[in-house]
Amino acid sequence: MAEAAARPAPQAQRDPRPALAQAAGAWVWDVPADRLYADARFAALCGLDPEAARTGLPTQAFVAAVAPDDRLRVRIAVAGILRGSETFAKEYRVRSADGTVRWVSARGGVERADDGELLRFTGVLADITEQKRVQEQLRVAQTAGGVGTFEHVDGFGTADVSEQFCRLLGLQTTDALPVRTINTLVLDGDPLIIRGSREEAQADHGAYSELRIRRADNGDERWLARRGEFRPDGVGGGGRFIGVIYDITPAKSAEEELRQLARTLEDRVAERTRERDRVWKNARDLFVVLSPRRHYLSVNPAWSRLLGYTADELVGRRYGTLAHPDDMQKVEAMMQRLGRGEQVEDVDLRVRAKDGDHRWINWTFTPEAEDGFIYGVGRDVTDRKQLEDQLRQSQKMEAVGQLTGGLAHDFNNMLTGVMGGLDMARRRISQGRAEEAAAFMDTAGAAAERAASLTHRLLAFSRRQSLDSRPVDVNTLVGSMEDLLHRTLGEQVSLGLALGPDLWRTRTDSNQLENAILNLAINARDAMPEGGQLTVDTVNVRLDWPAVAGGEEIPPGDYVVIGVSDTGAGMPPEVLAKVFDPFFTTKPIGQGTGLGLSMVYGFVRQCGGQVGIYSDSGIGTTVKLYLPRFEGEAEADEHTPRAISTPRGAGERVLLVEDDPQVRVLVRTVLEELGYRAAEAVDGQAALPILESEAPLNLLITDVGLPGMNGRQLAEVARARRPDLPVLFMTGYAASAAERSSFLEAGMRMISKPFPLETLATTLRDMLRSGSAG
Amino acid sequence: MTERTILLNELESDALTELVNIGVSRAASGLRQMVGRQVVLSVPSVEVVSRAAAAALIRERETGPLVAVRQDFHGALEGQALLIFPEQNSIELLRSVAGDLEAHELADMEDEALLETGNIVLNSCLATMANMLERPLEMSLPQVIRGEGARLFVLSSDPADAGVVLFLYINFAVSDRDIRGYIAMLMDLPSLDMLKILIGEFIQRVLGEDDG
Repeated sequence: MAEAAARPAPQAQRDPRPALAQAAGAWVWDVPADRLYADARFAALCGLDPEAARTGLPTQAFVAAVAPDDRLRVRIAVAGILRGSETFAKEYRVRSADGTVRWVSARGGVERADDGELLRFTGVLADITEQKRVQEQLRVAQTAGGVGTFEHVDGFGTADVSEQFCRLLGLQTTDALPVRTINTLVLDGDPLIIRGSREEAQADHGAYSELRIRRADNGDERWLARRGEFRPDGVGGGGRFIGVIYDITPAKSAEEELRQLARTLEDRVAERTRERDRVWKNARDLFVVLSPRRHYLSVNPAWSRLLGYTADELVGRRYGTLAHPDDMQKVEAMMQRLGRGEQVEDVDLRVRAKDGDHRWINWTFTPEAEDGFIYGVGRDVTDRKQLEDQLRQSQKMEAVGQLTGGLAHDFNNMLTGVMGGLDMARRRISQGRAEEAAAFMDTAGAAAERAASLTHRLLAFSRRQSLDSRPVDVNTLVGSMEDLLHRTLGEQVSLGLALGPDLWRTRTDSNQLENAILNLAINARDAMPEGGQLTVDTVNVRLDWPAVAGGEEIPPGDYVVIGVSDTGAGMPPEVLAKVFDPFFTTKPIGQGTGLGLSMVYGFVRQCGGQVGIYSDSGIGTTVKLYLPRFEGEAEADEHTPRAISTPRGAGERVLLVEDDPQVRVLVRTVLEELGYRAAEAVDGQAALPILESEAPLNLLITDVGLPGMNGRQLAEVARARRPDLPVLFMTGYAASAAERSSFLEAGMRMISKPFPLETLATTLRDMLRSGSAG
Repeated sequence: MTERTILLNELESDALTELVNIGVSRAASGLRQMVGRQVVLSVPSVEVVSRAAAAALIRERETGPLVAVRQDFHGALEGQALLIFPEQNSIELLRSVAGDLEAHELADMEDEALLETGNIVLNSCLATMANMLERPLEMSLPQVIRGEGARLFVLSSDPADAGVVLFLYINFAVSDRDIRGYIAMLMDLPSLDMLKILIGEFIQRVLGEDDG
């Protein structure tokens, strides 16, 4: 520093505390003696000879050192002191020993004698040049930066403030303000600018606070930031708090705008939430949230409107408890899929309403990966289901019409053959050309057989054929068909068998299954006029959840699947959609009845299975038969040896019960021609007297479908009387006789109408022989 | 700002501050004798302002009711001198002066103590000024008035009265008690002109003395 350089070296040696000496120079003005004593520092600052100052100078020296511009002020202040003022506090410029002009601060007081006479005027002089410069800088900084400063001595009612401080508060500029005046401008509840107590001020050490004030001049509300620190070096041992304030209104406004923006955003979110809520509340569809363990967590009011359940009645229950018992499997399958995190769409379930009715609900469920909750929407499709039922009914009626028309057409053709043949035969006989009649009779017979075959297929299609179901090893069955298939397919088509290992058994009518496979093979052959490859494969399939085949659902379970694949032309989708329709055929008229696939379908459905068909144009077609796995005890396959020639009776007595007179006459004629003695009855009532008589009877032949007591009941009665009486049932179709094994007891057989005479003869012979043997 | 400083130049203002300083020093000495405790009075600012500005200054600084001791003065200068405290502070001042008393005693003594304090302070200031300015001033008996700042500064009933206020802000430090007050001298413009002249004479005297 300049003063340090200017300070004479000997002085530094005299004073062991140069820093203190440097800080202030002291003076003593002896008023009665009119002499001024000062230390070296004072002398240096005021440009006086230090030695002279030490030993005493004329008092004029005090004012003479003051720079001319400030001299008058100092003289007046000194005059004030000499005339009774007690304190002297002035800042002024002096010309110092090194010739520079410096700012000094003089602080002084007086000492008086007891009588009040002024003895001494003493004080210290401090170099504040640097301080002044800093103050000036500070003032500029405060004005430019808008920072107001304040200093509050603990316990004082006023605070020293800067001009900028006053301007920030909208007060008249001054350098001291009452604390209360300052704090009154602060809005209620905000932190005060100057803390009341020392403790608060100390606790506030270095604190930053933001507060609002109402400006004194125009009442504007402004945000101020206050920052400061407490220093324990105030007057009288107290502390002082030195701080600054500055305006942060723009920052606060921006902050508020941001907050407003955030609030707007919140409002919008809330609005969205309200919208969602409205959807939730007003929707006609059922909304539901399920826990990961599928308990109802939340349901919307539609549940109450549609099904009558309040939320309280549902929350906590397990989903599925309201489902129709028949749909439980579907529910389980659905839940398993949801458990794997899959979405489930478009599942129709019947849900029980509170009043006991069931409504069809179409469900969509989405499992939420994050929380495992399941969100579901259900739409009431009861009306749609009813419409669908009606549609199905009308489609059925349409199909029946189509079927009837097709049947009539086919039957007319066949009847034409039968009637024409018989007519021609009669003519030839009447003309005496009996030998020529046989050919026409054959024609008529062939036509009649075709008709019989047609009705048989019809029954198969209607799933009302009489199935002789037994456990079947499909691999054995397919293997035994290899020869037959080779011959059927011809040389152009090669046959491949791919039989799965350890194939499960299924329970079915092996003859009908053979027919079905053969039928499919013929279709496949016909699809490959240029030749190709036909593959029959078998495989075990386990379905864990419902699969879809042929447009219908296959329930979960174990299946033996038989696939018949060709490498033929394949079918376009529109054809594929109709392949199971009765009388639908791709073949030219006359080459097929169109009952083939529909018959297969009917048969497989009757077995509890399903048919799937997959086809691509140009690649080929695969038909898969899903037959349910059979897990019961194996039964020995029965094979009836075929008779070589028509077996004849030996006068055994047979009771024939048949309501149709033509059939009755015909069968009776046949029986007599075969060498049996026949008695006849039109119904069960008429048969009873004979059965209950003592007349010998070897066998009962009865129609199943009789008026009044049916054939099965009649057989019961007959067996009661004659326990071992063999009974042969004849059936056109009998709903109750569709499953033979449950219908027939030991010693009972069944024969389907129409039947060749030879079959009847063979069956009678077998029954009577085993009956007599047993 | 201009309104406040236009009447006295810087040197005159300094001189006036010194005059008041001398007066207040005497007052402190008087109070010291009365209270028997350390009393420091300091004069942070001396301003000459219009009545309206004086009222605004008081209003800014004081939100509560005020109490004042008023003395009229006559002579070369005509006007009123007021020692003004916030009412809150007057009790503190009273306690300082009279010691800790019962509430009812305080109430009885309040005006009396105020009058005595006001008398000491105002008399010291006015007498010192009269002395320094070498013009006799005659002083009336002090009286206590209470009310809003604006009311205190009414010199006369004439609304057109454009008088000024010589406004002094002083800090009282009576031991640990926190007391602040104001000294206001209400003068009309002719009196202020006279004050200006007298201060000029005082300055000349002071400088002349030193020169001599």
